[in-house]
Amino acid sequence: MDRKMITLSVDGKTVTVPEGTRILDACNVAGIKVPSLCYLEDVSAHGSCGICVVEIDGYKRLVRSCLHTVKQDMVIHTHSNRVMSARKLNLELLLANHPLLCTTCERNLNCELQALALQLGVRESRFERTKKSIRPIDDSSPSIVRDPNACILCNRCVEVCANVQEVHAIEMMQRGLRTTVSTFFDEGLASSVCTNCGQCSLVCPTGAITEKSHESAVFDAIADPNLVVLVQTAPAIRVGLGEAMGLGEGSLVTGKMVSALRTLGFDRVFDTQFSADLTIMEESHELIQRLTNGGTLPMITSCSPGWIKFIETFYPDQLEHLSSCKSPQQMFGSIAKTYYAEQAGIDPRNIRVVSIMPCTAKKFEAGRSEIDSAFSYWRDKGSFTDDEYFCDVDYVLTTRELARMLKRIGIDFAHLEDGKFDDPLGQSTGSAVLFGATGGVMEAALRTAYETITKTKLDALEFEQIRIGAGIREATIMIGETPLKVAVANTLANARVLLDQIQEGKSPYAFIEVMTCPDGCLGGGGQPIPTNKEIRRKRAMSIYEEDRGMPIRKSHENPSIQELYTSFLKQPLGHLSHQLLHTTYVKRGAYPE
Amino acid sequence: MNDRANEIAAIVSKHRERHGALLSILEAVQRTNEHNYLPKQELVMVAKELGVPLSQIYSVVTFYAFFNLKAQGEHVITVCRGTACHTRGSKPLLDNVLHMLGIELDEDGMATTPDYRFTVHTVACFGQCALAPVIAIDEVIHSMVTEEKLATMIEALSARKEGA
Ligand code: SF4
Ligand code: SF4
Ligand code: FES
Repeated sequence: MDRKMITLSVDGKTVTVPEGTRILDACNVAGIKVPSLCYLEDVSAHGSCGICVVEIDGYKRLVRSCLHTVKQDMVIHTHSNRVMSARKLNLELLLANHPLLCTTCERNLNCELQALALQLGVRESRFERTKKSIRPIDDSSPSIVRDPNACILCNRCVEVCANVQEVHAIEMMQRGLRTTVSTFFDEGLASSVCTNCGQCSLVCPTGAITEKSHESAVFDAIADPNLVVLVQTAPAIRVGLGEAMGLGEGSLVTGKMVSALRTLGFDRVFDTQFSADLTIMEESHELIQRLTNGGTLPMITSCSPGWIKFIETFYPDQLEHLSSCKSPQQMFGSIAKTYYAEQAGIDPRNIRVVSIMPCTAKKFEAGRSEIDSAFSYWRDKGSFTDDEYFCDVDYVLTTRELARMLKRIGIDFAHLEDGKFDDPLGQSTGSAVLFGATGGVMEAALRTAYETITKTKLDALEFEQIRIGAGIREATIMIGETPLKVAVANTLANARVLLDQIQEGKSPYAFIEVMTCPDGCLGGGGQPIPTNKEIRRKRAMSIYEEDRGMPIRKSHENPSIQELYTSFLKQPLGHLSHQLLHTTYVKRGAYPE
Repeated sequence: MNDRANEIAAIVSKHRERHGALLSILEAVQRTNEHNYLPKQELVMVAKELGVPLSQIYSVVTFYAFFNLKAQGEHVITVCRGTACHTRGSKPLLDNVLHMLGIELDEDGMATTPDYRFTVHTVACFGQCALAPVIAIDEVIHSMVTEEKLATMIEALSARKEGA
């Protein structure tokens, strides 16, 4: 399997790299990071911007180092005058059509175009704008806002949507000066097959794709003395937020995050991990029930809302494979506005639930019309009338939005003391934190299902085979004497592979976990920018570290969850569970009728 | 509409295995459309039959100038708005045609009469600057057009029987 090695010269330095290496990467080996813009490892190699050009002896034209691979004895010059002025020219041409509104842009100080202008020494805009029209902003989606005027046509969003997610919501439309990224008939993301995953917002080098912000609404809710504002934090926030606040990649900041949220003014700081444990209780019992009663198998997890919209859109006939469990975010909302409201003596109409999510699709999920269980619970009791309607979850902030809010109040994040979550909806286990990484829901469910089925203690808690790794991983887990065949997929392209298998009746699995984003929530569309493979790995290691350090590591041993069942829900899959914690799905289809 | 759906399904299945199928299919669908264009519902039918994403279909039809996304009249009048034509009076010519037909250009520089007899649209430049002002009627280029000449040609077309 040994790859042939190629020797070449980069700025007079001799380097040896495997055949097939991109010129750009070979230069990196020689210690030169060639500036690039449209290229993005594992996502996009479209070669449209011309920033990464280098000069090669014997080649008449400058060569785009992101597109071409090395050849034996190449002599490369990465910063000849010709190269430097070509890069600058290409950048200036892009800037001519880019609004120079950096100070008011969401990506100010975290923009690849801005950084390049600084790096390449662009100090003036020499060229006239060539594009004539101002294009409308697409804010039809509950999750994503697209501003084509800030777009530099790098094609990254199109490729991530088409290749990583296999959704194809957006494409390059028109030609020449009118070229733009858009949807079918420019109808907007909301009427498209878009899953709201936000991967496009994560890869966009500029401020052309951002999340739909709930920041002001949350500031307002916090400031309103009549409201009790509860915040819940998804597992992946504690391994992402630190990066956006200037700490190292993947730094684990659970305690600081709790203190920061308290300082921001939330009345209670709770944890989505509490409801992740609750999800495991319901979902593992659902699995056991399906296994013993001949229910539909494989059962597939349902906590990733991008994935839910994906299967509803592209595989509407396979919905019975989905677990009926709501996601942890939504379970939290319905428990907070029923059980917790009763217990704490707060009028649920005055409660606002804010979620901090690594995810843009959670904004869509919170607005799904079939999810209003807390309100129905009270209405059925005769407490409220229809016009007092409220949702289970009121606002959803991405990791990036939270970081912006924290910066806005001037918090010194790095020096915060570690805070502790409030009780009871702040208590959680090691199983729950695993939800933040691909394979984690499966691992957590197996820990509980194993002990529930076999009634014996599980000693080896860590299921290495299904932890972060390939896009699809499978394992056979012995539950006592019975083998359970499971699979884990991350990204929607990988989910497609497992769904096609199911559709052909060839799926060998009993239980499948699907996460929408690369490596799971820690690579979510709402996480700090940049997010790449290396960073995702570091975040995952922090997740595993947090699990190991938790005093309780199995969901069913969470005392607050046990109490919730004893005093309120009674039993998993019971009557109240069905009302509050389970949901239904919508057959959407990929083409309008 | 149902007949049209069957017709489109037939076009798709005729071409589907061939190289460059999408372009030939779209071309055939446009050609067989009553008003020589690709309405949204027909593009949805093609996408669905062929199993390609809607975004991809739209990308293709907006890339090629050949495809029409708006209903076209029986006769297509193309007015050149290049610099040479402009200085030799293409703007008054354009205004005149529009006035005669009682229509106004939309934001894409196109207009069609309600009876679908005429479509008027502009192009940036024909590349026939020496012959300016230039106007094409049903793809035949007419050079050094005057207002009178244009009026006569349009009247002649109007007088012709529909579909003749
Ligand atoms: S949010 Fe996801 S599905 Fe929607 S356009 Fe962006 S990448 Fe595609
Ligand atoms: S929207 Fe962003 S990612 Fe997409 S093409 Fe434009 S600049 Fe690139
Ligand atoms: S980075 Fe290579 S062409 Fe854009």
